[in-house]
Amino acid sequence: MNGQPFKRRVQPRMLLVDFLRDELGLTGTHIGCDTGHCGACTVMLDGLTVKSCLLLAAQARGLEVQTIEGLNRGGKLHPLQKAFLDHQGLQCGYCTPGMILSSLFLLNHNPNPTDNEIKRAIDGNLCRCTGYLGIVRAVREAASVMRENLRPSTN
Amino acid sequence: MRPKAFEYHAPVSVGEALQLLSASEDAKILAGGQSLMTLMKLRLVAPSSLIDINRISQLNYIREEPDRISIGALTRHDQVSSSPLVNARCRLLAEAASVVADQQVRNRGSIGGSLAHADPSADMPVACTALNAELKLTSKEGSRTVAAREFFLGFFTTVLRRDEIIEEIRIPLPGSRSGGAYEKLTKGHNDFALVAVAAQCSLNSEHVCDGINVVLGGVEQKPTHATMTESNLLHKRMDGHVIHEAAMEADAGLTLTIDPRASEDVKRSLIRTLTGRALRVAFGRALEAT
Repeated sequence: MNGQPFKRRVQPRMLLVDFLRDELGLTGTHIGCDTGHCGACTVMLDGLTVKSCLLLAAQARGLEVQTIEGLNRGGKLHPLQKAFLDHQGLQCGYCTPGMILSSLFLLNHNPNPTDNEIKRAIDGNLCRCTGYLGIVRAVREAASVMRENLRPSTN
Repeated sequence: MRPKAFEYHAPVSVGEALQLLSASEDAKILAGGQSLMTLMKLRLVAPSSLIDINRISQLNYIREEPDRISIGALTRHDQVSSSPLVNARCRLLAEAASVVADQQVRNRGSIGGSLAHADPSADMPVACTALNAELKLTSKEGSRTVAAREFFLGFFTTVLRRDEIIEEIRIPLPGSRSGGAYEKLTKGHNDFALVAVAAQCSLNSEHVCDGINVVLGGVEQKPTHATMTESNLLHKRMDGHVIHEAAMEADAGLTLTIDPRASEDVKRSLIRTLTGRALRVAFGRALEAT
């Protein structure tokens, strides 16, 4: 879990999202629709975005789970978090953790996406404030920052 | 929403899964779970035993064989759509897999799970039927092969027996002068199709159509061949006019299931329009391949 090993016994029917929120107290992963449509519960499982309301906690056994709490390392916002803040990529913030993880999955595979690729990458995440334009801008900006960070230093 | 309590099993081999399946009256196989988990949470489905096959790595592969592509049932949609082999040899399947729901669902949902679930609007049943796919179904007693076009019986209903799992999907390799395309229209980007059309065709050296499948999704209770369109294209020399005329017959003879999202007129019009688009792309690709 975000780099830390956790060991718990769970009921077979416990959902991954409930395990994260209720057992581990990681409430950054949200429950929106609870039927697999809205993407608010998106987390990464072994590097792949999944909807944690459609997985059992037991299915994560032995796998690496990353949630929004795992992005902020050493008190510093991840470039995606910073960009969502700077470009008004969030209003109420409910969809934001899922949006950011879906965006991170995109940028991990495609460091320089077009706006259409960004829109496609977040089409499993619903924003009820309809702040999509700010979100697309934020992802575009974060992509550029992350590419810059990857460039080898010249001195 | 929480599922009703169940016994959970996570076998690591097909043999073990089949053993568990045969030992229970109402066990369900959990593959990607992108439909089953929702149904269980809504308690529309409440199996006493759940057999999670996600740890059976021997069910996840895409292999080229002399005459076909073999795909393990647990292969995820995203793996199918990004496979260089599938893209090179079987574009229709790659395209269909790339438009299943959204990225999260494609990361987890599997080709075998989608076929077993048999949603009449889902992409994989339509694509696999158009590609003359065969499904390898396995039980403790052994395996049998069923053509995709025989596999689906109706709404969420297939010939899969209670003690069987889908083990492999076999796609015959299309010939050299062939092409395929997948078109669908949805209301929202990650919604199920209002109408989906899979077209797979082949041409002879004279540009005469010598093989054609046009299969519709979201129209009847299971993937449906547009038989009038197919018979109007077969053995004809391809040109834009022939394709247009054939596409105009795509909804002929169909009894559409009621769809609260769109009227029958709209759906018939969509069937014809999307069939025309899919055919133009499919035949265009077949021509390019010559």
